[in-house]
Amino acid sequence: MNGQTKPPWLSLQGINFSRAGRTILSDISVQFGDRELTLLTGHNGSGKTTLLRIMAGLLKPDSAILQLNGSQRTGSWMRNRGILRARCCYLHQQPYLFDATVFDNIAYGLRRQGLDSSEIERMVGDALEVTALDHLRRRHCNELSGGEKQRVAMVRAWVLAPRLLLLDEPFANMDKPSRGKCLALINQMQQDNIAVLLTSHDPQQGELHISRHLHLYQGRMVGKKSPAEPDQSPPASGEGQPDNTKEMKPNE
Amino acid sequence: METLSEASRQALYLLFTGDKALWTIIGISFTVSLRAILFAAPFALICAFTLAYTAFPGRRLLISLFNTALSIPAVVVGLTLYMLLSRVGPLGDLRLLFTQDAMIIGQVILCFPILVAMGHSALQATDRRVWETALTLGATPLRALFTIIHETRFGLTAALIAAFGRIIAEVGSSMMVGGNILNYTRNIPTAIALETSKGSFAQGIALGLVLLLLALALNLALTSIQGKGEVVP
Repeated sequence: MNGQTKPPWLSLQGINFSRAGRTILSDISVQFGDRELTLLTGHNGSGKTTLLRIMAGLLKPDSAILQLNGSQRTGSWMRNRGILRARCCYLHQQPYLFDATVFDNIAYGLRRQGLDSSEIERMVGDALEVTALDHLRRRHCNELSGGEKQRVAMVRAWVLAPRLLLLDEPFANMDKPSRGKCLALINQMQQDNIAVLLTSHDPQQGELHISRHLHLYQGRMVGKKSPAEPDQSPPASGEGQPDNTKEMKPNE
Repeated sequence: METLSEASRQALYLLFTGDKALWTIIGISFTVSLRAILFAAPFALICAFTLAYTAFPGRRLLISLFNTALSIPAVVVGLTLYMLLSRVGPLGDLRLLFTQDAMIIGQVILCFPILVAMGHSALQATDRRVWETALTLGATPLRALFTIIHETRFGLTAALIAAFGRIIAEVGSSMMVGGNILNYTRNIPTAIALETSKGSFAQGIALGLVLLLLALALNLALTSIQGKGEVVP
């Protein structure tokens, strides 16, 4: 799917996951190049969130093969999940903000990296300024609106400069203006070389430069389209060519 | 017999003139109970965490046992400890009976179930997203635990307050294993019991007042740690 010259920096193959005897994910393979924006669609209960949590290293799959820059990582999941946690950042559908100020929330991950406080101050300040959230700096997080919370959580992940950002239904319950601000933020992240994967039950994400569209159906990856419409154009072949095809667009 | 108002007046006089005997008793009460709770709290927290965040066979039974232990009378703890610690008992060689250490052991046993039961219910009500968010932002599991404690501090502090309230006010265990020795193991509740039986109510009331006032001060301090304690819109 990616260019032949450079292997994807992250690839997870043969992901299987079941819980209580029910198969939730079956033989899923995903891979990521730099700056890719992947859209993952699927109905409720199709396994989107489970897949995201596995990729974030928060959930142990029954089996999965992890490759970094084309070379396979052996060893236990316990070791591999550290690799994933260090590179991927997961945002819940309704992100959790710690019981603290906006500044402290955004500084949380930076503090875990052991940076000194003046450096953290500067980085958080810059991020707040770029995202026009500066006025919320000293505000306590339970005073924020839903859209503001979502953006603060995104900035909190962004300052850590992850390789891959996993957004679970970021636009659910969001009004148009908030949505626009979030979209702008996602575009900014892409320019910072962060690959983004976002899930949605709605395949129409016209405002975004989607490089790839994956669809989950009952725990299986069914390529770009839903099974009802199997014959559609193949996914875009490189990062340079954003694919803006909308599913609802009639095909020739 | 003195009237209640007369006794109260004398009580306040004793309190504010810094009656030495009175303040020694107060000091013993608080040092013993604080040491007991400081000793019990870390272990209880680990227990509460284990019960809230891991799955193992017998977990539910264990939770029920801790909840049952909430209603053990202090005298029963005192009696059991007395039998264990007395010279002919299995732990008699430790020579702990009628010491402050024995009182501390009794109070640890009394406050442990409260700390575990209330800590567990606070922790298991925390949002699973706290743990996941902390990890995905690069926190180590240990650090993520501290983040959970921070997010749950209201409930955990409530557990501390309730536990301290029980042991600072209990008579049964302290009386039995402490022995109510003046200047050594006589604490506020045992002193009140003694003074009342002697008919000197002023001392008893003074001690009761101190207990309440100091408990109030401690609770105010803890409440400031707890934070707002309200649902902010």
